[in-house]
Amino acid sequence: MNFLSLINIELNKIRRSKILLILLAPVLIMWFPSIINGEMNFDVRGIPITPENNFFIQGFMGMVWFMIPASLVICTVLLSQTERSNHGMVKMLSLPVNIPKLCLAKFSVLLILSFVQMIITFTAYYLSAFAVTQIYDYNFILEPLYVLKNTVSIYAGAIPMATVFWMISTLIKNPVFSVAIGLASIVPSVLIINTKVWFAYPMSYPFYLLMVEYGKAANGIYSTQIDWIPWLPVAIVITIIALAVSSIGFGATERR
Amino acid sequence: MTLSLETQKLKRSGYIPTFLFGSLIASAFPIANMLVRSENFVNLPGDPFAILTNTNWQMIAMLNTLIVICGACMMYHAEYADNASQKMDVLPIKGSSIFFGKLAISATALTAMIIIETVVMTWCACHWFPSFQFSGTEFLKSIGFQVIVTLPTVIVMLIIASTCKNMWVSLGIGVILVFTFSIIPQDNTILNLFPFSSPYQTLCTVSGNGKTGIFLSVCLIETVIFALTQIIFQKIRRRSE
Repeated sequence: MNFLSLINIELNKIRRSKILLILLAPVLIMWFPSIINGEMNFDVRGIPITPENNFFIQGFMGMVWFMIPASLVICTVLLSQTERSNHGMVKMLSLPVNIPKLCLAKFSVLLILSFVQMIITFTAYYLSAFAVTQIYDYNFILEPLYVLKNTVSIYAGAIPMATVFWMISTLIKNPVFSVAIGLASIVPSVLIINTKVWFAYPMSYPFYLLMVEYGKAANGIYSTQIDWIPWLPVAIVITIIALAVSSIGFGATERR
Repeated sequence: MTLSLETQKLKRSGYIPTFLFGSLIASAFPIANMLVRSENFVNLPGDPFAILTNTNWQMIAMLNTLIVICGACMMYHAEYADNASQKMDVLPIKGSSIFFGKLAISATALTAMIIIETVVMTWCACHWFPSFQFSGTEFLKSIGFQVIVTLPTVIVMLIIASTCKNMWVSLGIGVILVFTFSIIPQDNTILNLFPFSSPYQTLCTVSGNGKTGIFLSVCLIETVIFALTQIIFQKIRRRSE
């Protein structure tokens, strides 16, 4: 079976899972209040930032530090739990399909869901920026290229984290345990982002990227340069290890 | 009898290790904060314990809420995974007593978690602040307050988990609620009284504003109301199935 049809099958399995609603709800919760409290963007509290940049950064901040990692955790639960009932996993493993390929197909679905979430966020940003512009008669709309670049970089920064969450969920059979580890690992990223070893902690990558953007938009808040050198190699190594481990461990308990 | 039954169900589910793991991670925050940048806090004026809670409780409370969500999902996942809840329905046990058994266990686990965290914070206060005077009543008051303000969250989460058959749905709703209340402004008392927002309150800030009574009574009333809601909901569900 080729890889694309495997992904297609996996997408079919989650067709009725209501996962899109779960991905959509936080975005609405995020942007709706920011339209209502639009005038707060003019009150920058002494930080040298323009209102339109403030609107963008504040809006993305909640998504990036909490909701994107949390949605990834929820999606890993979805992907592992749909196979749980009626021994779905055993049936899948008995098919003449390469097991690492199956694992990667499921992981691709995780990435697709995360991508959908970014598209929703991007669209919601423009809709609400447009709304706020109309209400306050001040241009809140940033250049599409700038927003797109940031959204894509945040998405790319979330990939190592996704591989780690995926590895945790394939290795730990007890779903709640893997969820607890995943959710608990989100909280310390606020602390770790301010230390020198942030690059060793994949859950803080998207947050870091947005903080650097914040640093560029408002002088003195955070560093303005991305430290590519320790970061990129470390991130790549983490991603490869996590993917390799999850491919090997995938369905290990069922194959015993 | 139901309580022992519910405890039996949790035997190999990893429920207690999850709460232990959560409280250990949460206790690591104040220690890490003090180890890395104690000079920022030691010289601050005011009560050492208040300084520690102000800096760390937001994260600890968030972690507690997330672990509570996991715990609730785990309890009802065990019921729904292999249609166990249908089997429970044919037993001569009241549906609501299952719920209250689970609630009692969750509340106990939560209390244990908060005790561990408070002990660690008290230890930090003793270790880093020479001026700190340990007071048993303050210690117990702080634990009691945090447990009571977190109870509505526990019960709401159990209700959500009991309504949704699929674990990712109840987990998703719980996480979205945490997210919602983490982005709303913290200076609005009415919003702070809601479940998922009240756990972030600390005794020292609340008593500083003179609102301890309001928080305790409203959170207890919320707990009772949600318990009644669950009983009514169970009745409706039994009729419709």
